[in-house]
Amino acid sequence: MALPLPPGLTPSEVGFLCEMELVTVIPRQRLESLELLGGPTQPLNPPFPVPLPLWLALLLKRQRRANIQPPAWLNVPSLTQILEFETAETTAAVFSPPPGLPPPTSTAEEEASYLASETLELSTPFLKDTHTSRAQADALPYHWLELSHLVLTHAGDDVEDADAVRRLLRDLREVRMSKLRKGFRVLESGAGLQINGVGGMEVAEVRGFVGGVVDGLRKIGRSREEARREREAEEQENGFGSSSYRDEDDDDMQL
Amino acid sequence: MATSGYYDLDAILTDSQKIPCTFELSVPGLGYLSGNVGEDVKEGSKLELPLWLGEMLAVNRIAGDTTFLTMDLPDALSKRVVNALKADPKTVRLREQAPHFYGLGARMLELFDEEELVEILTETFKKRSIDIADKASNSRNLVSEGGDWMKGLDETERALFRSSHEGGTAVRKWFESSSRT
Repeated sequence: MALPLPPGLTPSEVGFLCEMELVTVIPRQRLESLELLGGPTQPLNPPFPVPLPLWLALLLKRQRRANIQPPAWLNVPSLTQILEFETAETTAAVFSPPPGLPPPTSTAEEEASYLASETLELSTPFLKDTHTSRAQADALPYHWLELSHLVLTHAGDDVEDADAVRRLLRDLREVRMSKLRKGFRVLESGAGLQINGVGGMEVAEVRGFVGGVVDGLRKIGRSREEARREREAEEQENGFGSSSYRDEDDDDMQL
Repeated sequence: MATSGYYDLDAILTDSQKIPCTFELSVPGLGYLSGNVGEDVKEGSKLELPLWLGEMLAVNRIAGDTTFLTMDLPDALSKRVVNALKADPKTVRLREQAPHFYGLGARMLELFDEEELVEILTETFKKRSIDIADKASNSRNLVSEGGDWMKGLDETERALFRSSHEGGTAVRKWFESSSRT
């Protein structure tokens, strides 16, 4: 193959993208606005919390210039609730749903309205405020696994009851991974696997396998698929042909 | 012909696997295929030819309906193996049947119309891939077993094992490296 990189994002790329997510930071020192590629940051003005990219937040945290306020879902009550949802008998087959989408902002009437920035319809993983303290408390966002790992390792003292949170996260990861594995059993060459609410790192982990299985099944079934298509094409042609014959037959009957 | 790419090594290796063929005609001077240089190939003689050559000779029609030879299903896809796969896909050592077992199967299915074989190969691949996923996520025991299980996998399955194993390893690596800095 010409490209040495596998298709899709690798786990380290997902981890890198996770560091671009905004988290809420409580500054301890003043800092003027910084011109970053992703746009200017808000000036830091203690003690008012501001959203900053995770990588900058971790840098400031290491320098003891700021504290990270963990996302609204990164605490014991929220995670316990999500874990209960994941393990409850009625909902054991599905993943806990991702954060809700914002209400639609676009209007379909105007021409080329999709070009305006305020009419962009966002969905996972581009939702705003999914990792800040304003995030939805009862849903795991796209980067939940990576972000919680980074926050807990580098800013563990900012998270309340960090050990219990760690334990819950590990349980969640195992429960969800076993669900993904269960999904492997129903893989087909054409069928899909419903994984709404799955995280970026989880997808990156199983992408190679799932892609390989579906591709292999497609290759094995290709001859059958082609035969089916030919048959359908033939039937369509014959269908038109025979229907005209039938009309004639009907005429004969009437006569 | 193979649509998976001219330079695909796996496709080339798949096409070089031997298929039993029976000559329908006597061909002068083709004796070197069976090791008799300078002799003729007699009508009705049986030879093992590479898939790409056999396919060419079996598909090309000369003078009406006759072809040079007819192909048979290779041993790897014989009744014996298919029955074993039906009974328990996990215990069959596919690699000993053919190194590119599924590739060979897919190519033969292009030439033969075998509905049942498609079913069986699909089922086999599905069942074995689940086994592969389990083993790939927990590969520590495999090394102590001496890699015997790995030797039974065909090339497609090995690639699947590798990508599955790499996914888990890459995630673990990211967790470790991001904990350090």
